[in-house]
Amino acid sequence: MIAIYDISKTYGSNTVLKIGKLDIPKGQSFGLVGNNGAGKTTLFSLLLDLIQPSSGYIKNNGIKVHESEEWKPFTSSFIDESFLIGYLTAEEYFYFIGELRGQNKSDVDQLLSQFEDFFHGEILNQKKYLRDLSKGNQKKAGIVASFIGNPEVIILDEPFANLDPTTQIRLKGIIKKLAEDQNVTVLVSSHDLMHVTEVSDRIVVLNKGEVVKDIETSEETLKELEMFFAG
Amino acid sequence: MVKKFLSLQWKEFFRSSAFQKGIAIKILLVLAALYFGGCALVLGVGLFFIVKKMVPGIDPMQTVNNFLIFWFLMDLIIRYFMQQMPVMNIKPLMIIPVKKKNIIHFLLGKTTVSFFNILPLFMFIPFSIVLLFQNSDFQYSGLNVFAWVVSVVAITQALNFLNILVNKSNTVFYITLGLLAACGALEYFEIYKVSEFFGVIFNALYNQPYLVVIPVALACFLYYLNFDYLNKRFYLDGAISKEIKEVKTSDLSWLDRFGKLATFLKNDVRMISRNKRPRQVIFMSGMFLFYGLIFFTQDIYRDMPAMLAFASLFITAGFLFSFGQMVPSWDSEYYKMMMSQNIPYRQYLESKWYLMVLAVLISFILSTPYIYFGWDIFGMIAAGASFNIGINSFVTLFGGALNRVPIELNAKAKAFSNTQGFNPTQLLVALPKLLLPVLLLYVPYLLFDLTTGIICLGASGIIGLLFKNFFLNKIEKVYQKGKYKTISAFGEKK
Repeated sequence: MIAIYDISKTYGSNTVLKIGKLDIPKGQSFGLVGNNGAGKTTLFSLLLDLIQPSSGYIKNNGIKVHESEEWKPFTSSFIDESFLIGYLTAEEYFYFIGELRGQNKSDVDQLLSQFEDFFHGEILNQKKYLRDLSKGNQKKAGIVASFIGNPEVIILDEPFANLDPTTQIRLKGIIKKLAEDQNVTVLVSSHDLMHVTEVSDRIVVLNKGEVVKDIETSEETLKELEMFFAG
Repeated sequence: MVKKFLSLQWKEFFRSSAFQKGIAIKILLVLAALYFGGCALVLGVGLFFIVKKMVPGIDPMQTVNNFLIFWFLMDLIIRYFMQQMPVMNIKPLMIIPVKKKNIIHFLLGKTTVSFFNILPLFMFIPFSIVLLFQNSDFQYSGLNVFAWVVSVVAITQALNFLNILVNKSNTVFYITLGLLAACGALEYFEIYKVSEFFGVIFNALYNQPYLVVIPVALACFLYYLNFDYLNKRFYLDGAISKEIKEVKTSDLSWLDRFGKLATFLKNDVRMISRNKRPRQVIFMSGMFLFYGLIFFTQDIYRDMPAMLAFASLFITAGFLFSFGQMVPSWDSEYYKMMMSQNIPYRQYLESKWYLMVLAVLISFILSTPYIYFGWDIFGMIAAGASFNIGINSFVTLFGGALNRVPIELNAKAKAFSNTQGFNPTQLLVALPKLLLPVLLLYVPYLLFDLTTGIICLGASGIIGLLFKNFFLNKIEKVYQKGKYKTISAFGEKK
C-alpha cells in the first residue's frame, strides 16, 4: 500500500530522516517507535505531503504523494491538535470532515454511534467548542474524525499520549479491530512500547532518522524493544 | 517588583516573533503611529480655530463641550472592538511569593498607557495650550482649562476601565449596551436631548474647576471595580484565563444551495461569527461603508472624479480588502488538516471568492442611501462594486496567496502594534487594486464624460467575471507552488 523509496529530509546540513526502502503492505498495522527527534513525525508529514522530501519519494497505493493529490480520498490522519478546527463543536467538526469525504449526516452519525464508549460522554452534545475541550478530549475527537469516510490508510501520530488509562485501553481495542480489516492499513507511532506492540503486526524502530529495527511482532518483541531502548 | 514586571513585559514584547519580523514593517508601524499622533496634534492645535469659524459667535469651548460626548462615545466603541485586554502570563507568577494585588495593580496600570489613552493627550493638550495663548474675543483662565484637561483625561481613563469590565463581564456589557441604546433612542426620537445634557455637564466641568473631582472619582471607582473583579477571580479558571463560551449553534442549511461549496461557506460563516479577530474585520468593513461621507459631503471633491471613484470603490470593498487579503491565513490554525484532507484547492478558493462577492453585494445594497448625493455618485458606487467583484476579488485572493503570516483567530489584533497578517508584498498588490479603477474611470472621463467613465469601470468588472476560471486557475497554481512554505510558516509558534 505504502512504498518508500530512498526518502530523506535534510534541514541545512542536518539530516533528520533517511530511509532506503520500506514497504507497508495493504492491511498491515504498522507501528513506529523511536525517541524524541528520531524522525517519526517527519516521516508521517512526508507521507501526508506536508513537507517536501529532500530526495526520494513515497507512493501511496501507487500514487506519488508529492506529485498528485489522488491519495487524499482514501487516506486520513490525525497528527496533532492543529488538525482540529477550534471554533467548531465536535459534531460540527465531524460533519465537516464527513462532507469533505462524501459522507452525509446519517453516515457520520452511524459511525459516531460505534464510538460512544470511547467518547465516554465527553465529546458529543457538550455545547463546547473544540478549542475549549481538554487535550485528551481533543485527541479523542481528532482520532475518531480520522475514521470517517472509510479510509484505507489511517495515520495516527502518538494517539495514546494525553489519554486517560480507560481511553487508552479502548483505543487499543479500536485499533486492533481496524487492523483485522484487511483493507485498512493503520500506521501508529508511539512512545509507549507496550501499547504499540499490542496493536501492531510489525514494528519499525527509528533512531536519528534511520531504520534500526524492523520486526514482526511476536511474544519477544516487547523485551527486544525494551532492551534496545534501555541502551 | 514593578521593575521586574516591566522587564518581563519588555522581554515579552521584544522577543515576540511578531516583533522580530522585517524592518520594513517596523518602519511602517512607526510611520503609522507618527501619522495618527500627527493628525491628533494638528487637530488639537487647529480645533479652536476650526470650531470658531464653523460656529461663529459662540464660545468655541462651549461648542467643543457640546460635542465632546460624541468623541467619548466613539472612543468607547473603537476601544471595544480594537483594544486588547490586559493579559499577562500569570500562571508562573501564581505560585511564587508575589502579592496578588501587586500583580493586579500592575496589570491594570499597564492598560493606562495604552495607545487609546495616549492619543487623546496628543489632541487635548495642544488644544488647551492654544486656548490659553490665543488672543481672540474669548479668553480662558488657566485653572479652568487645567481642570478641564484633567477631567477629560480622567474620563478617558474611566472609559478604559469601563471597557475592560465590558469585555470581561456580560452583565456590564449588557447594562452598558442598554444604557447607550436608551440614550440613543431618547436622542433619536427627540424625547430628551441627551447630548445637550452632556453638553451642560462638560461645560460645568470647565466653568467650575472644583468639579474635576467627579471624573477623577469616577475613574478611581471604575479602577476599584476592576481591581475587585480581578481580585475575586485571580485563579487559573477565573477572569484572566480565556473564557469558555457556551456554544450558540445556528442553522446554516440555507447555504446548502451552493452545493459543494456549502461545506466551506458554512465553515467560514462559523469562523467569522465565533472568533474575535474576524469579528473585528467585520466591524472594520462596516466602517468602510461610511467612507463616502468624507468625500461626497465636501464640495471641493465634486469636480475631482478620481477622488470620488476612489471613495466609491472603498464603500463596497471593506470586507473584500480586510478579509480577502488574509485568505489562507484565516485557516492557518488548522492548515495542516486542510492540506491532508480530501480538499481540492479550487473549491476552497471558490468558496472564499463567493463569500467576498456576497459581502460586496451586501455592502452595495447597504450603500443605497448614497443616492441622496445624486445618481452619478450612486452610478460610481455601482461601477465600483462591479469592479470589486470582477477584478479586485481576484487580485485580493492573489495577494492573499502570497501571504504566509499565521493568524490567531480568537485574539483581537493589537492596534498599531499588529503585524499579524500583514506584509510588504500585500502593499504592492494593493496598488493596482486602488489605482486601476481610478484610471479606468478618470481616463474616459477626460476623453469623453463621466458617464463613459462609469460605464468603462462597470464593464471592466463584468469582463473580469468572464475570466473567472482563468484567474482562479492561476491563483490555484500560486497556492500549489507555495504549499510547503505556507504549511511551515503557519506551523510556526506565534
